[in-house]
Amino acid sequence: MIYLYLFWEYFKIGLFTIGGGYAMLPMVIQAVQKHGWLTSDQLYNFIGVAESTPGPFAINLATFVGTTVGNAQYGFWGGVLGAVVATFAVVLPSLIIIVIVSKVLERFKTSKVVQGVLYGIRPVVVGLILSAMIGIALNVVLPNVKLTDLGSASVTPFNWVSLVLMCAFLPLSRIKIKGKKLHPIFMILLSAGLGVLLFGVLKIPG
Amino acid sequence: MKKTSLWQLFATFFKTGLFTFGGGYAMIAILQEELVDKKKWITNQDMLDMIVVAESTPGVIAVNTATSVGYKTRGILGAIVATLGIVLPSFLIISLLSYLIDAFQSNIWYQSAFKGIQACVTVLVINAFTKMFKQIEHDVYNYVSFVVAFAIAAFTNFSVIYLILIGGICGLVVTLLKQKKSNKKLVVANVQDVSDQDTEEVDQ
Repeated sequence: MIYLYLFWEYFKIGLFTIGGGYAMLPMVIQAVQKHGWLTSDQLYNFIGVAESTPGPFAINLATFVGTTVGNAQYGFWGGVLGAVVATFAVVLPSLIIIVIVSKVLERFKTSKVVQGVLYGIRPVVVGLILSAMIGIALNVVLPNVKLTDLGSASVTPFNWVSLVLMCAFLPLSRIKIKGKKLHPIFMILLSAGLGVLLFGVLKIPG
Repeated sequence: MKKTSLWQLFATFFKTGLFTFGGGYAMIAILQEELVDKKKWITNQDMLDMIVVAESTPGVIAVNTATSVGYKTRGILGAIVATLGIVLPSFLIISLLSYLIDAFQSNIWYQSAFKGIQACVTVLVINAFTKMFKQIEHDVYNYVSFVVAFAIAAFTNFSVIYLILIGGICGLVVTLLKQKKSNKKLVVANVQDVSDQDTEEVDQ
């Protein structure tokens, strides 16, 4: 029974949130509280973890909620089943909707209406990416500060080391060695190593 | 475009899922490298249109992008395989971590590594942004709506859905108006052609 609820809540979350993982958060909190699945502490703790582990934020959150709920009720394998159900449910609407939209777009690609709408949305989406980019950059140098509340934000220590790292990575990501750029995955591994060295071994505060 | 094997599709998205930190936007950089530069399955323009679709439809942006690339390259089966690929790393890692969350959170080595990764992710998003910016048409309309959309998204809590909706409507109106104008021009040009011919005939 609990799996039916899990499926239903996560299917709704997948179906009704536009704008990605963070837009889902209010609905996730609501569902979790309504069913008493997790304590607020558990959830907020995990939001930090979901941000710092690989993979889409919303998927991480769904898997975690599913695991915790199933595990509390039926033990380890119950947790595994819960994770499968919640993750599958949050992905299913995407799968259906995107396949339909892609089909429609393919067929009407030359239609003036579709072209006009795409023409209008493209710059908006690129604007959204810029906004996300600045948000991410700001979060690195000034943790816990958001653009929307810059005025009221209390002063947090400026993270110089991360700024230097960013400035070093930017040209590094663009140089070509034998006509090839460094692969982003290699850059991530490199940055993880540098992080361990700078913040872990040398214990630079940042 | 070469035919993509389902295994390749799965492996590419699994790899992408494994190294995507900080949400869908950081993923764009990895996908550009893998899908556009290396494998050439899609172009940067396709990529932007897929992000447009992913942003304008419900669901997780990373999953939407994977589904849409999978569908474009190998149909419905491709969509399922790509989605499975992007979700599986999360699923495995988090299933495990759910039981070790306390140890994980207090691990100084992971925290240090993650601080480094965050700086790198920012750079990846900067690169993804510059590539996507090059793909929009460089006219006044695009520049204006880019700046307006950025400002609203960055400095207000205005809903992204409405922003996209308004963008789509404005784009449609502008395109139709342009078309009307060029049709008129065409008519005028035709009329001129005809009158030119008339004068020529008269001359003869």
